Amino acid sequence: MIDWSLYPEELVPKLKRHRVVKKLRRSPRIFTDTSDFTSIEYGDIIHVDDRYFIIIGHTREGRFGIDDQIKPWVPKVYDLFNDERYIIKLVFHETYELTIGGLKVTCYRSPEKEARVLELVGDHPHFMHGYSVLDEAENLVRILDIVDGRRLDTYISRLSDSHEDYVSLHLPEVLERFLTSVTGIGLLHENGLKHGDIRRDHIFVDRSDNRFRWIDFDYDFYLPERPFALDLYGLGNVLLYLIGKQNFRAQDVIDHPEMGQKVFETLHTGDLSLVAGDRVFNLKKLFPYIPAPLNDILLHFSAGSSVFYNSVSEFEADLSVAVAGLS
Amino acid sequence: MAAKEKILIAVDETETSFRALRYVARLVCGMEEVEVCLLHIYPEPPPDFYMQGGILDDYRKEQDDKAGRVFSDGRELLVKAGVADGVITTDNRYAEGRTISEELIKVRKEGEYTTVVVGKRGVSRAEEFLFGSISNTLAQHSGNFTTWIVGSDD
Repeated sequence: MIDWSLYPEELVPKLKRHRVVKKLRRSPRIFTDTSDFTSIEYGDIIHVDDRYFIIIGHTREGRFGIDDQIKPWVPKVYDLFNDERYIIKLVFHETYELTIGGLKVTCYRSPEKEARVLELVGDHPHFMHGYSVLDEAENLVRILDIVDGRRLDTYISRLSDSHEDYVSLHLPEVLERFLTSVTGIGLLHENGLKHGDIRRDHIFVDRSDNRFRWIDFDYDFYLPERPFALDLYGLGNVLLYLIGKQNFRAQDVIDHPEMGQKVFETLHTGDLSLVAGDRVFNLKKLFPYIPAPLNDILLHFSAGSSVFYNSVSEFEADLSVAVAGLS
Repeated sequence: MAAKEKILIAVDETETSFRALRYVARLVCGMEEVEVCLLHIYPEPPPDFYMQGGILDDYRKEQDDKAGRVFSDGRELLVKAGVADGVITTDNRYAEGRTISEELIKVRKEGEYTTVVVGKRGVSRAEEFLFGSISNTLAQHSGNFTTWIVGSDD
């Protein structure tokens, strides 16, 4: 039995008719201090910025190869007064070593950095939107609008059956949209900020206009001499995926019905990723019809390249020329 | 009379950097019209530094102490090799909002150094992509000054 006298008067009718509260076998708790986010559960209410958000679920870790683990610091919420859904990010500091091709980079989960990115991008069309507030214990809580869209990789996988059709029918437009989103990353870098976790599932394709929008800015990394290198690495990987419509490792080439051992034997170490050494970046060996200017950009990220990109603006300039050549 | 050679040597506590010092010592020992500056540059602290309770003044003090030890050892090496103590200067810089190589190029310009010396670590291409290479960056920017990139003695 819920003791309604414990809640602010204006909240009671909202709570009484909310589907989550109706299902709950306990009284929802109101949290103004979110420090111990693991104790904040389904049906509880986060009260920040004079707003009441009821928790209707939690987001899950979407990293490839990892089971969908619940992220208790990222609840899905419903604003009890404006009837809108949001995602809230609570403070969770985490440091870990990222290993790429045997090299270790220290990564940090940084609410402060995400708050700075949100403030910088405002309502920029190529980023998720939101704002940050302090709870009563001065935790930096981020209130994020939900991007109504699909993960980029899900979106791409549904375009055309054959790769050749995809390249001729869809790739020019896909890359045009990717190019404008790359400009967004350039904006971050110009302001001394990184995205921090550029991956193909950290771009959402907006359902309303098919625009590519970056999400999740709370990772940071420490590379004092090449502060934006991991963002560049991520952009190279996303471009590889967009052009190849999937990633190709050695076994994928061998297993591919139209490639097999014959194509595999044409590959050299220099055709593979410069940093990770696994994926094939010289896609022209797999798909000879890929335009050379696009493949040349990919080769900058390959082990065989004598030059690599030092900035997103260099990458963007080459991509811009290559995309213009597709039309 | 020849203009004074102003040599800027990037130093830290590594053997790579002391190899560069030994190289310079061999070349300039006995020279009078020369100024040798030992430059130590340190980066901004890691992103979680403040969240871990770090205090910038403490970090800078730690880096100053480290630079002091490097300067002391470096000066001793140069003097023992025959470089006059009076021509050696030191400079410790905090690369705030800049990379180490950007700060190095800035110091070079401010001090109008004619030659910049760095040791070469010998990193892989992948390491260079992720972590950078000061010697390569310097080589790309050395249009109006001389760069000595000192490799292995092997």
